[in-house]
Amino acid sequence: MNETLELNKLIGILAPVLIIQFILMIIALVQCIKAEETRGPKVMWVLIILFVNLLGPVAFFLFGRRKV
Amino acid sequence: MSAVKLMTLVRKEWLEQLRSFKLIWIPLVFALLGIMQPLTNYYMPVIIEKAGNMPEGAVIEMPVPSGAEVLAGTLSQFGMIGLLILALAFMGAVSGDRNSGAASLVLVKPVSFLSFILSKWLGMMTLLWGALLIGYAASWYYTWLLFETVDFAPFLLSYVLYGLWFTFILTAVLLFSTLLRSAAGAAFSALGLALLLTALSGIAPKYMGWSPSSLTGFAYEAVQGGFDASASFGWSIGVTILLIAAGIAGSSALLRRQPALD
Amino acid sequence: MKELLQVNGLVKAFGQAQAVKGISFHIQEGRCTALLGPNGAGKTTTIRMLTGLLKPTAGSIQFHGLRAGEDRRSLLGYLPQSPAFHNWMSGMEYVVYAGRLCGLSPAEAKQRAKELLERVGLAEAAKRRIGGYSGGMKQRLGLAQALVHRPKLLVMDEPVSALDPIGRREVLGLLKELKSETTVLFSTHVLHDAEELCDDVIIIRSGQVALQGALPQIRSEHRRPIIELKLEEHAPSLEWAAGFEQRTSADERLSATIEEIERQGTMLRLTVKDMDKARQALTEELAKEKVRFSRLEAGYSSLEDLFMKVVGE
Repeated sequence: MNETLELNKLIGILAPVLIIQFILMIIALVQCIKAEETRGPKVMWVLIILFVNLLGPVAFFLFGRRKV
Repeated sequence: MSAVKLMTLVRKEWLEQLRSFKLIWIPLVFALLGIMQPLTNYYMPVIIEKAGNMPEGAVIEMPVPSGAEVLAGTLSQFGMIGLLILALAFMGAVSGDRNSGAASLVLVKPVSFLSFILSKWLGMMTLLWGALLIGYAASWYYTWLLFETVDFAPFLLSYVLYGLWFTFILTAVLLFSTLLRSAAGAAFSALGLALLLTALSGIAPKYMGWSPSSLTGFAYEAVQGGFDASASFGWSIGVTILLIAAGIAGSSALLRRQPALD
Repeated sequence: MKELLQVNGLVKAFGQAQAVKGISFHIQEGRCTALLGPNGAGKTTTIRMLTGLLKPTAGSIQFHGLRAGEDRRSLLGYLPQSPAFHNWMSGMEYVVYAGRLCGLSPAEAKQRAKELLERVGLAEAAKRRIGGYSGGMKQRLGLAQALVHRPKLLVMDEPVSALDPIGRREVLGLLKELKSETTVLFSTHVLHDAEELCDDVIIIRSGQVALQGALPQIRSEHRRPIIELKLEEHAPSLEWAAGFEQRTSADERLSATIEEIERQGTMLRLTVKDMDKARQALTEELAKEKVRFSRLEAGYSSLEDLFMKVVGE
């Protein structure tokens, strides 16, 4: 009983973190795929965005796009 | 300088932030940073227990941090990662437009150089203060959830003081971005300045009380409630505001001297 | 005719080097003027000083009809060689933005933007992102944004030289229409473009004005009768040509009629003072020396010749 309560609480607490990370990842991914030109291979960026938590999308936002 | 034209320029900055998703991802990253601090503080004992090769039966004794300590930790996270992200996000503020030639097309119109610089600055400021508020408020909420309540007044005061320090550094980014052609050069010059001032404040706090970098210390004190407005507090606020104004004026003068680089 | 712009002794020095060495000219209202010169003559530098993007080292730029305290830039529309916009904006958004920066009200700016985009043939593409525009489209958008506040003077820097032939046609066609509506000054290194569009030319060479005036006037003033002679690859004939060139300066009768001789391979080009006498003297020579020529032509020097002469020295 106590265990499940803890678990529920944990999920409630962690959910926003996961949701924000997910949103960041999706935006970065869409931007990356839509971009005509990325700095470096597009596939590399897709992998970075997908597998490097948080820093991946941030790195893409900061460095991945050519200045428009 | 016309207010209508300034607002036209500022609206363009906002639209650019929206279309490049800066307006979305930067606040989200700040929110994440804000949440992570109380979260890692809270689960630290568990994490250490799970990760470390603790001998059987060892009990970890970790003092539970106060809510104020957690928030101070959040601020210091913002001060490192947050500042790095903001500086990198705005490093091309002026040099980008000038190198591409987009600035010359704007500056041949009857627009004052100060308006152009101010629009960049205001665009940075809305994003900075907004993202900082969102991130810090998220941290405040999680601290309340996992630890204890921190009063609103110390929270607000520390937010304003930290925001002022950020404003100072971002103004430096703007100035260097007008001075230098290279965006990376602008970011690293400004971050170098931040690092230098912080280090000096650490080495000789007595002599650096007037420095903008001592605002971070005041912010930590403010959130922990042990704040008393000393003379150097007034000095550092005054000096910071003065330097920010000088930075804006300097950028405007630099732009006037050489409006186009392309 | 009213004078719109007066430029006096304009100088621009970059360090030791002077890119513009004291240029003076004036522009009449309603005229189209070309700033003509080879690359590196100081055209772009001059234009940038006019627009205020560059501070002159010395000299003055005076706009007539500028009210006290009024910004010169409010009378100017400027189109650089390859205009840079914000690629994330749409064409429509950019022209409205430009209009607002020139002090138009939101409704006015929108109305003007619509008119102008229609005018430059971008009505279809108005809502698309500028990032996807072709070079010619960007140049036309550049025209629209330069004209949004109905400037008294439209200033353009090499408006067609970065374009492919199709884009070039499009923009030149547009400029032909537009020049009747406002005063135009543009720089070019292509004489043909200047001849096609302009009333006046200012030819500049290494930072100085070499020649300026109305195009028909320049054409008639500097028109010289010339004779062109093409020889066959025949040694004695070529020898004669070399000898003839030398003799001309010495011989009084010849130098009285022939002003200048240029020899290039088998081509002989005579600038003459008196066509009849020169023709007479030359044909006599040719008959006497049995010169084998393949072509003999009498005519007048073109503007191209003048331009090459003025610029080539």
